[in-house]
Amino acid sequence: MTVDISVLIGGEAGQGIQTIGLLMARTCHRAGLYVMVINDFESRIRGGHSFIQLRISDRPVHGPTRKLHMVVALDERTYGLHQPELTEGGLVLISKDHADTMAQHHRYKMVDFGGVAKKAGSSILANTVAAGTSLALLGAPFDLFENILKSTFNQVEEKRLAQNIQAAQYGYTAAEDETFKWSWPWAVTSPKGRLVDGAQAVAFGALAGDCRFSAFYPMSPATGIIQHLVDMAQTVPLVIEQAEDEIAAVNMVIGAAFAGVRAMTATSGGGFSLMSEGLGLAAITETPIVIVNAQRPGPATGLPTRTAQADLQFVIHASQDEFPRFVFAPGTPFEAFSVTARAFELSERFQVPAIILMDQYLNDSLFVAEESFEAPETVTSYTAADDLENPVGYRRYAFTDSGISPRALPCKGPALVKVCSDEHDEEGHITEDADTRDAMVAKRFAKVAAMRKEIRPPEVIHAGSDILLVSWGSMRGAMEEAVNQLRADDINCGGVHVVDLWPFPDTALSEILEKVTQFFVVEQNQSAQLGQLIRQQTGCQYTDAVLKYNGRPMSAGEITDAIKTKLR
Amino acid sequence: MLSTNDYHSDYPNHWCPGCGNFGILDAMKSALAGLGLSPEKILIVSGIGQAAKTPHFLQCNCFHSLHGRALPIATGAKIANHHMTVLVSTGDGDCYGEGGNHFMHAIRRNIDVTVLAHNNGVYGLTKGQASPTSMEGMQTKMQPGGVIVGAFNPLAVALSLGAGFVARGFSGEGDQLSNLIQAGIRHRGFALIDILQPCVSFNRVNTHKWYKDRVVPIEENHNETDLIAALRLALGTDDRIPTGIYHRMESPSYTDRIDKLKDKPLTDHRYRPELLKALLND
Repeated sequence: MTVDISVLIGGEAGQGIQTIGLLMARTCHRAGLYVMVINDFESRIRGGHSFIQLRISDRPVHGPTRKLHMVVALDERTYGLHQPELTEGGLVLISKDHADTMAQHHRYKMVDFGGVAKKAGSSILANTVAAGTSLALLGAPFDLFENILKSTFNQVEEKRLAQNIQAAQYGYTAAEDETFKWSWPWAVTSPKGRLVDGAQAVAFGALAGDCRFSAFYPMSPATGIIQHLVDMAQTVPLVIEQAEDEIAAVNMVIGAAFAGVRAMTATSGGGFSLMSEGLGLAAITETPIVIVNAQRPGPATGLPTRTAQADLQFVIHASQDEFPRFVFAPGTPFEAFSVTARAFELSERFQVPAIILMDQYLNDSLFVAEESFEAPETVTSYTAADDLENPVGYRRYAFTDSGISPRALPCKGPALVKVCSDEHDEEGHITEDADTRDAMVAKRFAKVAAMRKEIRPPEVIHAGSDILLVSWGSMRGAMEEAVNQLRADDINCGGVHVVDLWPFPDTALSEILEKVTQFFVVEQNQSAQLGQLIRQQTGCQYTDAVLKYNGRPMSAGEITDAIKTKLR
Repeated sequence: MLSTNDYHSDYPNHWCPGCGNFGILDAMKSALAGLGLSPEKILIVSGIGQAAKTPHFLQCNCFHSLHGRALPIATGAKIANHHMTVLVSTGDGDCYGEGGNHFMHAIRRNIDVTVLAHNNGVYGLTKGQASPTSMEGMQTKMQPGGVIVGAFNPLAVALSLGAGFVARGFSGEGDQLSNLIQAGIRHRGFALIDILQPCVSFNRVNTHKWYKDRVVPIEENHNETDLIAALRLALGTDDRIPTGIYHRMESPSYTDRIDKLKDKPLTDHRYRPELLKALLND
């Protein structure tokens, strides 16, 4: 049989919904199932409506679905808001407190989560009770869940663990007289990979890139990346500083990189706006830095806790004048890991800034990543050591064929390093000489030819199809699932996914797109930003675009429906 | 023995004849020579403005950065390699205007850098607009009716934020200024030296003579560890402008407070795959 079940757990902020999601995801993952968890929450600490949505399957899942099989409603609103998404035969678990006020169109089961939790020791255990009841109905063996609780709470006091196990048991008991239509026999096998969110994958990638310094200013949804770095920083030579603002954060990162360590910052679009000035400074001083922009809808404050892909054109052009930069947009946690490590390497090698576009959906969602996250055995340094031939005559911006000048570090040898945000001569002194200006612009852009060679071509699935869906960043999973759904409906469709976005992979994309009769871009913005870029850089015109910008992640079903309408 | 000639730069100077910056530059060279700090041991970070051009005019490592951003650049560099001697060459607009937020928080961090704030009470590079330290009533082309907002008091602000070294110098008192710079560099932690200087082109109020008539060395019996006495000096009660060390009190600097920097600077670590492997397997 095939398992593909979606469970939504909703309630108010502060009810521990994310904990339920994490416990259930860990249980499924431990059993050898594939699982992904979307986090949907409002920009508030208490109240409102939050939910997490688990998709559990025995086959890899990389995107959300619209159809729900079970809704766990910790408050009244959850049922009201989500009952339209329930599949026929779906089950609602509702708290006794609110039972009277609910419409009863669906099969429902009352569980007094709070009351049961109190019996186990405290009402705050309601989330463990809810996780227990849900897992019991899905068919998960109790000892599996118990082991997850043990590994989750083993760092804290024994009493709390015992209470959680008791609450889980009560949760299982509450499910005894109920059945779930799609429960399946759980054959526990070994985990399929790593349960990881995009934010943690970026943090791992930073360490694989030998990041030694990070400065940040808190901003949703980027903060998770730094939190993971902080959690891991105890054992590695990494210093993290909370700056007074994003301007300070990026400039601290530039200062640290100038002095000789790999450094990064992470922010969202608003913070990136403030960092645009520093981005230009990194560019003209040829200081290697990595900036992660975890996108959210804007402009200005926009929707702080929600997702978007609307900063692509912005980051490619951000800051005044023109300069080379790298822009990457990973589509999965593993891509986030490997791209981040690559961003550090390429940024240092070419002495240019590198930007990584994440978004709230990829950053905050849990996925099972089957690829192996490997620590590189070595990390190459591209700085000029003390063995410069003529340190006294050292020129930081010496003209070279490649445009890359030997990069000595300040106070690390006899060479004096002078860098300058004014246009400068080879020594790093201010100049207004017209010929030197021309030569310096040419020097910076001379790097682009070699940078292009580092750009990996987009990945294609079902090459040779008549039509193609084209996505970038976090839309990879939903796009590929949509391609398979369309193919199942006899539509000869393939998919293209772009991760390395700048320098733009013009040639590779032209070759792919010129072969098809129609192609559709799939993006979470209003104006088809990748579609525009493709037209600008390759001359290929997209047939149409599937766009969504309400801050919620796009599902394969939405893409499939839209494509079918457009093809009609 | 190092001499001031060891810091000589061939790069042509951009300042107006008679600018107070020349006195500050000479005092810097003599202070650095006096401390035996050779050019390759020094990093001077600057923002934008006439003061920020200073590191081009002497031998040193230099990061001539953006308007207002010298302090965060210096902070990042110092965290990466705390064995460097880091100076910040900045002006009243750069440090107290555009970089005001960074100024406050660099003091809170007690990052071990020495800030030389060239304070001429006017914007020079952009040709004569009022600065945060312009005196009320000062007329400029942009403020033809006179400045109507109160002047920023950098010393009082720094003291109230807990700065461990707060001093005031005058570009016309080279020996005293050189000593202040030496003391600032020796101080382990954030050191502010606000340096009064005339702007011969744009400030017609605070001329060399104007300063000469007002600056007085701080009395010898002033207790440098007494914060309230320092604040009283900084707030001022008459026309006199005390010069010298207002306040000096050491506490662990930012990099002193980070255990992992005790052995060696971040720059001197080597990548060790086993550390990441342990985290990946956790």
